[in-house]
Amino acid sequence: MPTKNPTRTRVRAVPDDDAATERLEETPAVQFREPMGMPIALAVCAGGWLLPGLSHVVLGRWRRGLTFTVCILTMFVLGIAMQGRLYTAAPDPTLPAFGLLLHWLALVADAGVGIPYFVAERMGYGDGVLSSPNYDYGSAYLWVAGLLNYLIVLDAFDISQGRKP
Amino acid sequence: MTLSHFTALFVFALIVSVVFALINKSEPREQLRYGAWVFLAFLGVAVVVGWIMFPFPF
Repeated sequence: MPTKNPTRTRVRAVPDDDAATERLEETPAVQFREPMGMPIALAVCAGGWLLPGLSHVVLGRWRRGLTFTVCILTMFVLGIAMQGRLYTAAPDPTLPAFGLLLHWLALVADAGVGIPYFVAERMGYGDGVLSSPNYDYGSAYLWVAGLLNYLIVLDAFDISQGRKP
Repeated sequence: MTLSHFTALFVFALIVSVVFALINKSEPREQLRYGAWVFLAFLGVAVVVGWIMFPFPF
């Protein structure tokens, strides 16, 4: 259970020699945030879902947030460029039950990217070309971009609650 | 856009390993080490599994 101390730092093992003590003193302590209120934390996470990396930027983790933005958007654009398929909320009605389940799971994964997903879907990208040699890779890129963004949002939530530096 | 399978795998592994490293580790040296390990593991496992599947007829 995390404590509520805003100046909390990572606990390190006590070194057993002087050289290790000096090295430890030279290493900057990792700073944890003061825990945020739950409504604000959830709003920050929602922002991170809609625009990948935004939640880390808001929490003051600029470099990490911008790196996440570049990674997720690159993966998403490459997935579209490779003619992968973006799953929409209108599944093929002839799908059997298991196919329908897979469709909805794919939709949840794709929608993890947030605004770029909705924009691409509105603009008619992501129809998926089965005959394209990179169709499978493209679709996997699109799923993984969304799933990674969910992980990033969870990471931002932990940071906002002071559980991670 | 058409990428070779290896290029697509390389880019995929690179992006995922960067994100994993930044999420799981907090210090730059740890991030670099962990990211490199995840990246090489992605490539290595894919190549090994590819060779294992090579003789299969399906």
